[in-house]
Amino acid sequence: MAFDLQEGYLTTRVDAVLNWARSNSLMPMPMGLACCAIEMMAFAGPKYDAARFGSEAMRFSPRQADLMIVAGWVSYKMAHAIRRVWDQMADPKWCIAMGACASTGGMHRCYGVVQGCDNFLPVDVYIPGCPPRPEAVVHALMDIQEKIRNEYSVVQDYETGQRRPAPLTQNNNVLLPEGEQAITPDVLYNQ
Amino acid sequence: MRDDAKNIETKTTPAAHETLKFHFTPVDEPRPDQENPHAKRTTHVPEVVEALREQFGEAIGDVVVYAGEHTVFVDKAQLREIARYLKDDLGFRYFVHCGGVDRFTDEDRFEVIYNLVNIEARKRLRLRVRVDEDDLHVPSVATVWRAANWNEREVYDMLGIVFDGHPDMRRMYMPEDFEYYPQRKEFPLLGIPGSLPLPAQSPGGDLTMDPFAAAHGSTPVKSYEEPTEEPDTDDDHA
Repeated sequence: MAFDLQEGYLTTRVDAVLNWARSNSLMPMPMGLACCAIEMMAFAGPKYDAARFGSEAMRFSPRQADLMIVAGWVSYKMAHAIRRVWDQMADPKWCIAMGACASTGGMHRCYGVVQGCDNFLPVDVYIPGCPPRPEAVVHALMDIQEKIRNEYSVVQDYETGQRRPAPLTQNNNVLLPEGEQAITPDVLYNQ
Repeated sequence: MRDDAKNIETKTTPAAHETLKFHFTPVDEPRPDQENPHAKRTTHVPEVVEALREQFGEAIGDVVVYAGEHTVFVDKAQLREIARYLKDDLGFRYFVHCGGVDRFTDEDRFEVIYNLVNIEARKRLRLRVRVDEDDLHVPSVATVWRAANWNEREVYDMLGIVFDGHPDMRRMYMPEDFEYYPQRKEFPLLGIPGSLPLPAQSPGGDLTMDPFAAAHGSTPVKSYEEPTEEPDTDDDHA
């Protein structure tokens, strides 16, 4: 094998290269639901310059996105649409819960708003704030990048990809806490 | 005197922007019968109340004047005729809003409130209809003012008051198969567990019936395998 040592070379792993490429080309899916979306637009704008991290291309089609930013409060009706969009995104994908409402329900402590979108989405990074500054979104993006760079990717797929399907959750239906009477319209209205 | 001095004229007419007049919105004149200069004329409508009394008599109940505003209690059986009369004969063509109240009393528990405006005469009127819990039916005024359509649907959604004759009596905000009325006083603030399902935790799974699944230990499946241990930095040549 003859090559010129004077020009230098690097050795690396496929995992590292792939993770580096993935982490620097995240395409956010802007799930803007409320005022946090305004800050998310500022994050994407020229001043905060998400292009430094390769994330300037917001993709409104879930097929072309791999990072969902849930910005704003999630109602129970909207949750199904969000989950549907999430399911349409191609693997691997990551999720940021932006702001107090998306993380915990925030000030909307009521019957119509989901108390945190992690009740139905696998959230990777939570951003506090109401709404968070664009710097906080940039920081969350950097956290996601950090996470991606530490992941297994192709090696894991090659070794165990076919044999191990995605794990199913053990806890699909958590009903009422034990010992509590189920509330039905009959109990509530016709007593 | 320089030769070009005759070409220079002293300006006698001011520039156009200095002659602009500003037209302010006229201030509501103070009412002569009140010492309070801030009392509005727009909400002071005794002549409308008189006309309603003459036309409908017993169907017009109490008339409350609070903060200079007239509120008329109306018999719900004749609500639509009164609405038609107010719109066609008295000129209240602008339906601002209608809303419901849960007073949580034994009798006449619910109340529906209508805010109306006569734009030409600059008058405002508020109607109130008392609804008992045993008979949650109110004639719809959506056939009189089309603007009432969604407002009445909202009242139905939140309080369960049915508007008879409404063209499209469906829920406004909550899902159509929702079985409760959230703005009633007995409804718990955080809702009823299991009444509003969340999406499945994984594609193709069952709906999540627990609204606090995350707090109860459920973790939605991630799309990738997270490293279980610290990455081996010695092996990392990147």
